[in-house]
Amino acid sequence: MSTEAPTSMETETVASKTKLESNTLPPKPKFEPLKAHEMSDGRIQFRKVSVPPHRYSPLKKYWMDIYTPIYEQMKLDIRMNLKARKVELKTRSDTPDVSNLQKCADFVQAFMLGFDVPDAIALLRLDELYVESFEIKDVKTLRGEHLSRAIGRLSGKGGKTKFAIENATKTRIVIADTKIHILGSFANIKIARDSLCNLILGSPAGKVYSKLRQVTARLAERF
Amino acid sequence: MIPSAMANSTETAVESLHHIKSTEPPEWLVPKQELSQAVRAASKLLFSSLKPHCPKSTFDQLLTEGFDAEQIWQQIDLQSQPLLSSLRREVKKFEKHPEEISKFKDGGVGGGEKKKVLEQIETDNVVNDDDDEDDDDMDMDEDEDDEEEEDEEGEEEEKERGTEEESENEGAEKGGIEDKFLKIKELREYLEEDEAREFGLKKKKTKAESKKEEEDTEEEGDDDEDENEGSVDDDDEAQEEEDGLGLFDGNDEEDEDDLENARYEDFFSRKKNKSSKEKAKSRDMLEEDSGSDDEQDVDKRKNGPSKHEKELDKLRSKIEEMEKANLDPKVWTMRGEVTAAQRQKNSALEVDLDFEHNVRPAPVITEEVTASLEDLIKTRISEGMFDDVQKARTSSSKAPREIKELDESKSKKGLAEVYEEEFVQKTDPASAPLTFSDELKKEASMLFKKLCLKLDALSHFHFTPKPVVEDMSIQTNVPALAMEEVAPMAVSDATMLAPEEVFSGKGDIKEEAELTKAERKRRRANKKRKFKAEAAKRMGKKARQMTTVGNNDEGREG
Repeated sequence: MSTEAPTSMETETVASKTKLESNTLPPKPKFEPLKAHEMSDGRIQFRKVSVPPHRYSPLKKYWMDIYTPIYEQMKLDIRMNLKARKVELKTRSDTPDVSNLQKCADFVQAFMLGFDVPDAIALLRLDELYVESFEIKDVKTLRGEHLSRAIGRLSGKGGKTKFAIENATKTRIVIADTKIHILGSFANIKIARDSLCNLILGSPAGKVYSKLRQVTARLAERF
Repeated sequence: MIPSAMANSTETAVESLHHIKSTEPPEWLVPKQELSQAVRAASKLLFSSLKPHCPKSTFDQLLTEGFDAEQIWQQIDLQSQPLLSSLRREVKKFEKHPEEISKFKDGGVGGGEKKKVLEQIETDNVVNDDDDEDDDDMDMDEDEDDEEEEDEEGEEEEKERGTEEESENEGAEKGGIEDKFLKIKELREYLEEDEAREFGLKKKKTKAESKKEEEDTEEEGDDDEDENEGSVDDDDEAQEEEDGLGLFDGNDEEDEDDLENARYEDFFSRKKNKSSKEKAKSRDMLEEDSGSDDEQDVDKRKNGPSKHEKELDKLRSKIEEMEKANLDPKVWTMRGEVTAAQRQKNSALEVDLDFEHNVRPAPVITEEVTASLEDLIKTRISEGMFDDVQKARTSSSKAPREIKELDESKSKKGLAEVYEEEFVQKTDPASAPLTFSDELKKEASMLFKKLCLKLDALSHFHFTPKPVVEDMSIQTNVPALAMEEVAPMAVSDATMLAPEEVFSGKGDIKEEAELTKAERKRRRANKKRKFKAEAAKRMGKKARQMTTVGNNDEGREG
C-alpha cells in the first residue's frame, strides 16, 4: 500500500507537473518485454503428454536424452506422472519463450508416436518441422491380407523402402500398424506422403524409387 | 383309127395348125371357141403322130371332147415326158460322137435303130420324164407358137430320122447360137452343153488316151469300155454302138443325174481325176499309171466316196473334233488361276512350269568356288585385315554427372543433423564441411588410381594409359587467339567452344516470325509460369531466411 501510494503520487505529481509547465507530451514509457513467466499474468503453464503403453519402456530408456535438452536448453520443467502415465511439462520463471513449451510438448509427443530422440530433437531446433499422421484406410480401404501386404510394401524388405523414402525426402517415417506418421518440413512431408500413398495403392517399389529420384533431383537443382 | 378318117382329121388338124400359126398373139388373150377347137384338133394330131415313138404311152389318141384343158394337158404330158428325155439323150450322144451321126445319116440305121435306142432308153432310166415334161410344158403354152413349131420340127424329123435330127440339133447347137431357140431353153441347153462339153471333152480325151493304150487289155472302167467300143469292127458296129450308146446313155444318165443333183462334186472330182490321169499319162504310159487311173476310174464308177469326198470327210471329222474340244471344259493348264484342289494330283509335275524367282539361286559350290574362298581367307589372315567390329569409344572429356543414389539403409544422421547440414550449405557453401567419409573415400580412391596406373604400366604388354577425365572447367566463349596471345593482333572465328556446346537445341526451333498464334500464347504462358515459380521460390527463400535469421527477434517480440 505504502509502496503503491508514492507511485501513484509520483505519477500524479508528474502529471501535474507536466500540465503545469506547458502542454508538452510526457516521455514514452519504456517497457521491457514480458517474460514467459509474466505472460498470462504470471501464471505457470502446463502441458501433459500421455504415454502409450508400448512407449513406456523406451521412455524409461531414453528419459535422460529427453530430459536434458528440455530442462537445459528449453528451460522447462518436465516430470513423469507415473500414476497418470503422463509426461508433464511446466514453464519456469526463466523460460525465454512461450513457444518453447509447445515445442517441447511436440517433441515429447513425437517421441510418443514412435520417432527416435535424435529425429524428434529436430522439432526443438527447427521451427518449420511438422508431424503428419494418417491411416492406411484414409488412402484405400484394405482388409485382411491386403492390409498386411500394403504394410509390407510400405516398409519393404528390412525397411529399405521406408529408409529410401526417408533419405530421399529428408523426413522420418513411422509406420505403426495402420497408422503412418511423417516428420519433416512441409514440402518434404508432401513428397513422402505421395510416395507412401502410391505404395499403399499398389505401385511397386521400383516405380516409387524412380519417382523419388526425379523429385529429389528436382529439389536439389532448385537450390 | 380308120385311115380315111385319120387322113381327114390330119388334114383338118394341119389346117387348124396353120390357122393357129397365123393368128396374132393378142387374139389369144381372149378365149375364143374356134381357136380352142383348132388347138384341140392340132394337139390331137400331134399326139397321134407322136404315139409310135413313145412305147410307154397309155393313150392311143388324145381325148379332147368333154375334157378340161387341164386333163388334156395331163394326157400330153404323160406322153411327152419320156419322149423329151430320150430326145435329149440322143442329142447329147450325137454331140459327143459326131461320127455316129454320119452313120445314122447314111440311113442304114433308120427307124429300127432308133427303136432299139428308144427301148434301151426306156430300160435304162426313169428320169427322162423330166425333160419330156419340160418340153411338153413349152408345147402346151398357147402363147408360144414357136415351141410348137420347134416341136413340130423336131418330131417330124424324128419320125424320119431320129438320130439325124438329134445330130442336126446337136450340130446346130454345137455350131452356134441361133435365134430360133427361146431364151430359157437356150440358156438351159447352153449350160448343159457347157457342162456336158467339159465332161464330154474330157471324156473324149480319156477316150482318145485309152485308145492309145490299146496294149492294155483287161482294164475295166469307162475308158476300157470306150476303148472297146472304139476298136470297132463293122460287124460289131451295132453292138458296140449299142453298148457305147447304152454305156453312153448310162454315162449320160449319170452325167445328167450328177449335173442336176451333185454337180460341184462331180465336176471337181472328175477334174481332179482327169488332171491326175493327164499328168500320169504325160509322164508315162505304164501299166501302173493306167492302173491308178483305172482305180480312180473305178472309184468314179462306183458311187462310193471319191478322193475328194474322202478328204472332205477327213476335214469334217477334224472340224467336229475341234468343235468338240472347244465345247469341252478346258485343260487345267489353260484355265488361268488353278489351285491344287482344282487339278489332278501331281499334275503340276508333268507340266514344265515357269515362274519368276525373286530369290537369287543358291550358288553352286564347285571346287573353284571353294578354292577361291580359301585363297581369300588366306590373304586376309596374312594381311590381318579382319572385318572386326570396332567399339566406338565415347569421348570421356566431360566430367561424369553426379548421380545421387538412393540410400536404402537407415540414415545414421538424425533428422536435425540433416537439416543442419542443408542449412549450412545454403547459407555458406564454401565453408560447408565435407563429410568425413566422403573425404576419406576420395583420398583413398585417388591413391588407388595412382597405384593401379603404375602397376598397369609394369604388367600389361600393351599398356594404354587411361584417358584423363577432365574436371569441370570453365570455358569462356572467346576466340582461341585471344586466349593464347596477350595482345590480340587479329580476330579469328575459331572459338573455344564447339557449336554443340554453344547451343544444342533439340526439336523444332522456330523464330518469332514463324510461330503461330497458339505457339506464341504457349510460349508466353510458359514464361509466365516460370516467372511465377521463380518469384515464389524467391519469396520462399526470403521467408525462410526471415524465419531462420529473425527467429530470436520473433521470439522476443512474441
